Parts: sequence; structure tokens; C-alpha cells
Amino acid sequence: MYIQDNDALERELDALLAREGISVPPDRRAGVVAGYAEFKRMSALVRQPRMAASEPSNIYSLDVILRSV
Amino acid sequence: MLAAKPLYELSIADAGKLLRSGDLTSVALTEHALQRITALNPLLHAFVLVTPERALADAERADHELASGIDRGPLHGIPYALKDIYETAGIRTTCHSKLRMGYVPDADATVELKLKAGGSVLLGKLATHEFAFGGPSFDLPFPPARNPWNLDHFTGGSSSGSAAAVAAGLVRMAMGSDTGGSIRGPASYCGTVGLKPTYGLVSRRGVYPLSYTLDHCGPLTATVEDAALTMQVIAGHDPRDPASHDGPLPDFTASIGQDLTGLRIGYPRHFFVNADGVSTEVVNSIDAATQQLAALGAAIDEIRIPDFELFNSCGRIILLAEAYAIHEHDLKTRPLDYGRYTYQRMIVGATISAADLVQALRLRRELATQFNKEILGKYDAVITASALTPSPRLDEFSADAPLKTAVQTIPFNVTGNPALSIATGFSSSGLPLGMQIIGRAFDEPTLFRIGAAYERAAEWIARRPRLELPIAV
Repeated sequence: MYIQDNDALERELDALLAREGISVPPDRRAGVVAGYAEFKRMSALVRQPRMAASEPSNIYSLDVILRSV
Repeated sequence: MLAAKPLYELSIADAGKLLRSGDLTSVALTEHALQRITALNPLLHAFVLVTPERALADAERADHELASGIDRGPLHGIPYALKDIYETAGIRTTCHSKLRMGYVPDADATVELKLKAGGSVLLGKLATHEFAFGGPSFDLPFPPARNPWNLDHFTGGSSSGSAAAVAAGLVRMAMGSDTGGSIRGPASYCGTVGLKPTYGLVSRRGVYPLSYTLDHCGPLTATVEDAALTMQVIAGHDPRDPASHDGPLPDFTASIGQDLTGLRIGYPRHFFVNADGVSTEVVNSIDAATQQLAALGAAIDEIRIPDFELFNSCGRIILLAEAYAIHEHDLKTRPLDYGRYTYQRMIVGATISAADLVQALRLRRELATQFNKEILGKYDAVITASALTPSPRLDEFSADAPLKTAVQTIPFNVTGNPALSIATGFSSSGLPLGMQIIGRAFDEPTLFRIGAAYERAAEWIARRPRLELPIAV
């Protein structure tokens, strides 16, 4: 697995948060960085080779929508 | 005639018999519970709000109805409590958060409506982790609940008050919610029974969402039978919950008391024995439980299922994305009104890309298909660990640590299968240990059959926390 150094990880996190208009309170930053590193590890795990026809679990179902109309 | 047990140890079935014979009133049962809450809640912090007027009014109505020949079912006259994310008309519902301190709903959650219609008695609202996600936290409007087996220890979360209240005998049944293990983790740490029902079997309407596709509502109880009786009341189709299952309901108690002859149980021991930090005591207690189940007639096969980290990554990404979508506005505009843990964990959802989420959802379909076809196509149930260790001390939590996976419960939020957590013994330090039994979709009766047979044979439920009581209740 590709391991990112901490500075690069923090730069990437800062860019993503800035895009969302989020400014993390300074005393909460360390916990957010740790959580982002954990997310990156998980993100790599869910990206496995798949057939294009492999559909997601919550594929749109008109039946379900109509049931509550 | 009244049983020899103290009132707080009466099972729901036994209390029900006494209520129907006229040897006990719901008012007496409720007053006893309220006294016990008054005595113990200052130590446990399980309740964030007690509703004595509502409780006594409910109890008086229940007694009057039973005396008039009106019987609303197995929870008639039985006290219960709700995790404080269940909306209650006219009663404050805070989600244990500064953001919701003034919120008083004008309508009940569907589960609360069903419990009311079943003649039950609401004692109050229970502590949770903030929005069922952060915690254990000391920077919220209420302190975290404490574990009745040792007050310095964590209850687990997020149904923290639910587990503490049931374990301490403040109430026999408390509703919790489970998005990644928030019923089963606290049940394991506190030595109670905890059921995460099949996704769609119990309505989520009126329960503050954490993750729409992973949230499950279910009970924490003192015994397996108490859980089955609760399901008789709370399960069922709700057209206002888009995920609600519209199909026939089983008799949840029908299989309780049967032995396990003919059942095949898969045991994916690899799933937890190689996990970081797993306790030998947990492994040994689950190994012993499987031997006990074999002695009761079940055929146990050691099996392999996909690696926990695949399920965990899939579930956590979906959870973070959905939770962030729900909280986006408040996280951006009122960040400091969230507790530190909740904020630090939830804000990471802002960084998840659409592709990350879709890949997780594709993996979810693969895992759910594989587990239900290849494993539950052959086995009636699967057994694995709930929590990997006994409950940690509250002061062991680091403020900046990422969300830990000390419980292996999220796989069955990902698949949606029902999962029942029950006690498998105690650590050398006197803290409960537990396992979870996972079943086929909508086959809760088989879980109750297995759980009740084990519970009866192992007798762990005879052991109670030793709490110092200022008064004799």
C-alpha cells in the first residue's frame, strides 16, 4: 500500500477542507488529521478491481420510492 | 404471590404473570424502579432525564386496564426507557448534544408509539454518545454513563445509558440504536443482552439518524426472553420508514426453550483471534461457549469469512459520508457546539469523494451477497466476538485518537443481518465478556433459540453488579 508522509497527508487534508469551506479549530486539528489518515487506509481497501457491472448496494429502486408515495 | 426475587430482577415474563394475577401492580413496579434510579443514577449517569409523572400515569393506566380485562400484550405495565435520540412528544430529546438541548418534539418515534400502544411505562431518556457517534466525552451537556460492573470503566457506546441502566437493574428493557455496534458493544461491556434486528424489521422513523443505510433500532435487555418479548411489540412495517420491511412477522418467542439439535453454527474464529489487542480471556470465553453450544446439540464448524477490515472499511466510509451529509450545516456553522470526539470524527466525512462512497457501496453488495449466500446458505447462524476486550477504563481514551475498532460489530450493519450479543463470562477483573450470534435475515427466532439455550446452560445472568446503594432498593 502507498504510504503518504505526514506533511503531504496534511496538505491534502487542508486542501479538501478548504474546498468545503471548513476551518478546523486548532485544538481539534490533531484528531482530525489522525481520522483522515485512518480514512485513507480504509479508502485504499475498498478500491478493489471490479467488473463494470458490479452495482452498489443502494442502487436506485423506483419500487421503494413508490411504496411511500 | 410475589416472587422471592427483588422486583428489579423479575423478568418481563415473570412480572407480567404477577401483574395479570393481581399479585403485583405496575405502579408498585414503577415506584420501585424510580427509587432505584434516584439511588443509583447519580453514580451511573445512565438517565439524562427521568419522567416520573409520565411513568406513574402510564402505570396507573396499565393497572386500570388490566383490572378491566384489557391486556395490551407482553410489555403491558412493564417499565422501559429510551436512548435520547428517540423522539418523544412533549419530552425533551437532546441527542446528548448542546445543539439539541432545547428540542422538544411534537410527535413520537414509531417505536415509542408502539410501546405506548403496548401499555408500557416510560421511565425516561437515556445517555448516549453525542448523536450516537462520539464519546466517551466529558465536554457534553451530560456526563458519560458509567459501567455498573466498575464505575471507572467505559460502558461502550453509543447506547451507553441503555446498557448501564439494564445492567444495574434500573429497567429491564431499554431501546438503543446500532449503526456500527452501538447496541452490541455496550451489551458486551455491560453484560446485558443486545439485539440488532434485521435491517428494516424495526422502524427508524423518529430516531435521529446517524447513517441512513446502517442505522438499526433494537432493545438491550437483561435476558434473551426479554428481548424476544420486546420484539413482539416493536417489530413491524412502518410505511413512514422507507427501509421498513413489509412482510409477515414471526412469533419471536416460539423457539425459546428448544434445544439446539439439528442446528449448524459456523465459527469464523480467525475473524477475531488475530485482531490487534484481542484479549485471551475473550477468545477463551467464546471457545468455551462454542463447546457449550455443541453440548446442547448444535454442530459447530470452524469457517472463514471475508476479513474484518474489509467490512470495517466499507461500513466506516458509508457511515462517515452519510453522517457528514446529515450534519454538514451545523459542523460548518457551529463547530464548537459539537463535542471534541464527535467533531473530529465526523468532519472527516467532508473529505470523502463520490467515488470513495460508490466503491464502498459496491463492496457492500459483494460482502452481503457472499455472507448470505456462501455462509448462511450452509449455516443457521454464525458466532464471533462482540468486543475484543473487557471494557477499558474511561481514562484510557486519548482525545485525538481516531475511531477505534475494539468491537467487531460493524460487519453485520454492512450486511443488515440480525445479530444478538450475549454474555460469555467474566474477566479476571470481574468485567463482562460477550459474543454475538448472527443469523439469516428475519430469522431472529433462531438467534433467540440459540441465545436462550446458552444463557440457561451457562448461567452468567445470575451474576449481578455489586453496587453500593445508599438506600435498600
